[in-house]
Amino acid sequence: MPVLSVRDLSIEYRTRRGPVQAVRDVTFDLEQGETLAVIGESGSGKTTLAVGLIRLSPRSARVTKGEIRYDDGKRAFDVLSLDAERLRRFRWADCAMVFQAALSAFNPVITMWEQFLDTGRAHGMGDKHTVHDRTRELLDLVHLDPKRVLTAYPHELSGGMRQRVLIAMALLLDPRVVILDEPTTALDILTQRAIIDLLRELRGRLGFATIFISHDLSIAAELADRMITMYAGRIVERANVEDLFYRPRHPYSVGLMRAVPRVSGALGSVVSIPGSPPDLIRLPRGCSYYPRCPFHVEQCLEQDPPLIPVDTPDHEAACIRWEAVAAALGSDAEAPVAEKLA
Amino acid sequence: MTPPLIELDGVSRTYTTPAGTITAVDDVSLSLGESETICIVGESGCGKTTTGRMLAGLLRPSSGRLLFEGADVWEKKGRDLARFRRAVQLVHQDPYASLNPTRTVAQTLSAPLAKHNKAHGRAARAAMISLLERVGLTPPADFLLKYPHQLSGGQRQRVSIARALTVDPRVIVADEAVSMVDVSIRISLLDLLHNLATEFHVTTVLITHDLAVARYFARKGRIAVMYLGRVVELADTEPLVSDPAHPYSTALIAAIPEADPAITRSKKRVSLKGAEVPSLLNLPPGCVFHPRCPLSEPGLCDVVVPVLGDLPGGRSVACHVAVRERQPAAELLGVR
Repeated sequence: MPVLSVRDLSIEYRTRRGPVQAVRDVTFDLEQGETLAVIGESGSGKTTLAVGLIRLSPRSARVTKGEIRYDDGKRAFDVLSLDAERLRRFRWADCAMVFQAALSAFNPVITMWEQFLDTGRAHGMGDKHTVHDRTRELLDLVHLDPKRVLTAYPHELSGGMRQRVLIAMALLLDPRVVILDEPTTALDILTQRAIIDLLRELRGRLGFATIFISHDLSIAAELADRMITMYAGRIVERANVEDLFYRPRHPYSVGLMRAVPRVSGALGSVVSIPGSPPDLIRLPRGCSYYPRCPFHVEQCLEQDPPLIPVDTPDHEAACIRWEAVAAALGSDAEAPVAEKLA
Repeated sequence: MTPPLIELDGVSRTYTTPAGTITAVDDVSLSLGESETICIVGESGCGKTTTGRMLAGLLRPSSGRLLFEGADVWEKKGRDLARFRRAVQLVHQDPYASLNPTRTVAQTLSAPLAKHNKAHGRAARAAMISLLERVGLTPPADFLLKYPHQLSGGQRQRVSIARALTVDPRVIVADEAVSMVDVSIRISLLDLLHNLATEFHVTTVLITHDLAVARYFARKGRIAVMYLGRVVELADTEPLVSDPAHPYSTALIAAIPEADPAITRSKKRVSLKGAEVPSLLNLPPGCVFHPRCPLSEPGLCDVVVPVLGDLPGGRSVACHVAVRERQPAAELLGVR
């Protein structure tokens, strides 16, 4: 039973030039306890999707259609039909979000303890002592010393420590879904490693489901069970992590995989994707990846291709040329795309 | 290697802050030949940007010398100094901040051409067209009248590179030049910078925190790893990434998440003794890495500052233990 089911979700931004179709017909399920990574370059719609899931989108955004169904086994509802008060409770208690810039996620003029207390009170956690006990427990879980952290102001902590505090705060109300937007992007390598290991540990202990939004494929490689590739607001491929890394079937997924160099193993043939993403106000005719795609044929201009099953029933790609992509990659072995295409 | 074109000779840079004096860069020596590619890598606060600024002659070292073609740059005056200024150009990290938003690409490029008397009028236009072609902005005529806001991040960074090329530099220092552009186009920018070295004999220094980017860019060159103001390892790229000699580089490479689930989930880790990076205000005695180092030996590493020593295979490492054992730290820590 999925904890979150998204159906045909479309989100537009109103601009003077016309509506920007940032998210188009997005459908996916998030199972209990699983980790789903959403990848794509900037402008692919991944952040609009993430903030749209908890209805935190800016005023200029409008959900034009779709459904976001939450079901934790005890309660089930459509997030899009919640009134203001129930939405406020849904955010953080059922579904928490960890933002990228950990400094601006905190109020700079109050201590960390006051931030925890505020959050606890706003969600009716009870008296100070309950919030305090839970906070200490969570700070232990994220390997921080409560004595040092709770009396500190945000600027007094390092980037890695702030990110840990933010993760602890996201878990304050024991949510079933945690959305992480570029959780390690601004951090140094050793800190990044520590946060990745921490997320893996917490997920194992607390069993929440995770949606990762990242342009960094290596975080997905580390933590994801399943992955979604987004391009021009649509899901263009959906697969488990091994299939997406080693046997991608959408040319855009192949392009992304090939654009990232590695430190270990053979370098292989590393190449950027030519061109740039389309204008989301005036989408090109047919497949929106057509102008950048090395596999395109005339027929690709006829329609924006729907997701169809490829290889296995759990692997879908929105590409009529997926067999040509498979043939170009050759082997189905567990080896990176850049090596197969070298 | 060709004789050095530009050289940092034991440079240090200190800053006085209300909390005390900090040494951002401590006794760094680096010597670069013509058309060489080199990456300076390290985490934030390691001094890589300060080193880059000293190399570009933008920041005067507190001690030590910057040599260009063997002569001390900070002794240069007049025309001689102007010649150095033209020879070494910097490409900044943020293409949104480094281009004047009120100037078209043509204005941005023609100003240095005119100022340095390289080309005027029609000749300037021809020079700009050829520069834009060289940085892959084609057709060039489409870009001349564009303002920065009409360009993507990658295109802006190409304009920055074209601007650096207006004065035919011998050295380009690129500070995190690709970290703000999308993953999908980073490689093409790195290729562009790489071609400057191989085709136009420009020595290219890339400063980055990303070791995968460093490995790709300097695949035929070298990498210098910095930690708390010092170069801890300097070697050819492939041996450095496959078999790092310094325990810090070893820990860094072992910690990097890789875009390959099988490799990244089975990587051998190096456990460090501490997670906290010491403050520059209060550096530990001896080797600055010793409080975190799994190889550190009491009485040696916490007392004597290690200098770069040689290991077989032409690599230099500032580690007492690796140099004594004549083995890279990756070997000694069993993570090869």
